[in-house]
Amino acid sequence: MIHIFCALPCEAQPLIQHFKLAELKQFDLFRIYQSKDKEISLTLSGVGKINTASAVSYHHACIKTNAGDAWLNIGVAGHANIAIGEARLVNKITDEHDKSTWYPQIVFKSPCESAALITLDKPSEDYQDVLFDMEASAFYQIAIRLGTAELIHCLKIVSDNTTQASSKVTADTVKTLVSIKLKLLDNLIESLKPLSAKIRSITSEPEHYQYCIEKWHFTQSEKLQLSRLLRQWSIRLPDEAIEAFIASDTSGKSVLQSLRNKIKGSEFVIHD
Amino acid sequence: MISTIYIEEEIATHPRTLAILERFPDATKISCERYGEIFNRKSQNFRLQKKQPALILARKHKGHILPTPKQYGIGAEHNYYFSHMLNCLYDCRYCFLQGMFQSAHYVLFVNYEDFTEEMTSLLNKHGDEPVHFFSGYDCDSLALDPVTNFTSKFLPFFENNPQALLELRTKSTQIRNLLKREPIKNCVIAFSFTPDKIAKSLEHKAPDVNKRLQAILDLQKSGWQIGLRFDPLIYTKDYAREYGELFNDIFSKINPDLTHSISLGGFRLPKDYLRKLEKLYPDEKLFSSPLAEENNNIGYPLEIREAMLDFCANIITQHVPENKFFPCHEMI
Repeated sequence: MIHIFCALPCEAQPLIQHFKLAELKQFDLFRIYQSKDKEISLTLSGVGKINTASAVSYHHACIKTNAGDAWLNIGVAGHANIAIGEARLVNKITDEHDKSTWYPQIVFKSPCESAALITLDKPSEDYQDVLFDMEASAFYQIAIRLGTAELIHCLKIVSDNTTQASSKVTADTVKTLVSIKLKLLDNLIESLKPLSAKIRSITSEPEHYQYCIEKWHFTQSEKLQLSRLLRQWSIRLPDEAIEAFIASDTSGKSVLQSLRNKIKGSEFVIHD
Repeated sequence: MISTIYIEEEIATHPRTLAILERFPDATKISCERYGEIFNRKSQNFRLQKKQPALILARKHKGHILPTPKQYGIGAEHNYYFSHMLNCLYDCRYCFLQGMFQSAHYVLFVNYEDFTEEMTSLLNKHGDEPVHFFSGYDCDSLALDPVTNFTSKFLPFFENNPQALLELRTKSTQIRNLLKREPIKNCVIAFSFTPDKIAKSLEHKAPDVNKRLQAILDLQKSGWQIGLRFDPLIYTKDYAREYGELFNDIFSKINPDLTHSISLGGFRLPKDYLRKLEKLYPDEKLFSSPLAEENNNIGYPLEIREAMLDFCANIITQHVPENKFFPCHEMI
């Protein structure tokens, strides 16, 4: 799943249309939109850090998220000399207020160049050689607690610079700027998908796990052992029918013992 | 190869930093205050980062040279290790670095002079007694040598300090910097080996066994002393045949007179590291090996461990005198 956060309706609208997102009316603290297949959701946070941090937390509480999901903060930003309409993936976020820094991990082929960003408390036209926004640090600070670092990113489209100040940017301009970069956003999402899939595959429950915990009682510690033994079984005894083998066991403990004994008695070859 | 370089502000103008940056003109450069801001952050996934590791140029502030665990050594009483880098170009599935670090990025400490300064202090402390310094615990000593010029800085230091010995632990064939200079007596290039089929399964991105062996032959031909490290020994049903073939291959080709030392030890990891590795690679066969826990470490059960060590020791001692042989029987 992909979780997108935008501050302004004019930033969100092109995305809502592009991904055919519908509003989830049951959530009223922030407006949340979702695609029919539930793969993409978008929350409109409002401007500023408090709004953004609250929106990310609220989104997490409303939409079931997991470690394999991608988190994106998408919006416009200022920069001293990057041309208006250019997009940048953020490689360093500094919170202007307390100077905290985060380094989004770009471990894929980025669809655009990357740049550093400072999150401000108030709008500024005192441009520097870094992106300016008012949300990214709050977004990242909360998202990093909920997801996997390599899947959390900020994509910023330059809307104002030293030649055209933010005071002249209109909602329609922002809509146009975001619309022009939809293809780039698609590419970013495509780059993140294999990483998401990898995380999902390594965090998924092993085969037969649900069958076992529904049939027998296991303590938390025994569930970890079960998970480990089921994975070992699938590696060392891939052709053996596990459910038939443990069918006569009467407790979680005896299942674990049966699995342990059978695995221990099998030959181990480390290579194919 | 390197597309992102983080640079600590403090060493941004260090000559070694500038030289390295010059090698990667197209890399994205990102400044940071301390490397830990990137390297030590939680929520990072080592496996994902390993797809495209960044280089972090940093300064090491303390703990440049550390004493080795008691059971590690190749004959001296005073043993230290040091790491000019953290993390490795290769991706060996048994490697403890995956369990120890949050990040797969390569950290390079560019202040080599602080390492050699601390070595000098230790050598002064130990007087005329031999002191061994081991490189290659937290990185491969040679894999990035063309970039780091590690050997170009450290070998002259050891050349001038003959009571010290340097071990460069490696799987790399990056030996050009060594071959283009005169060998020094107090340096051992120690190559790690597992049998070919096991290496192909577990030692991803590392040069194959034949290439490592060729690197040894080239080094010996130039007069360098080499070490053989069969650590970790990896268990498989046919380990005797596979290790037998490996030993036969190696000992039929190398020069025993320029073989400084041989060590071996079974696969073992601290329990916490192994559990982290299992989470990163849940389908990895290695972690389905017959394993047992002992003193918060996990390794092969005693009977497997001792059988493998005895088997290997019997063959190795046919080829080298016992004073060059250093088996590690412990699980730690």
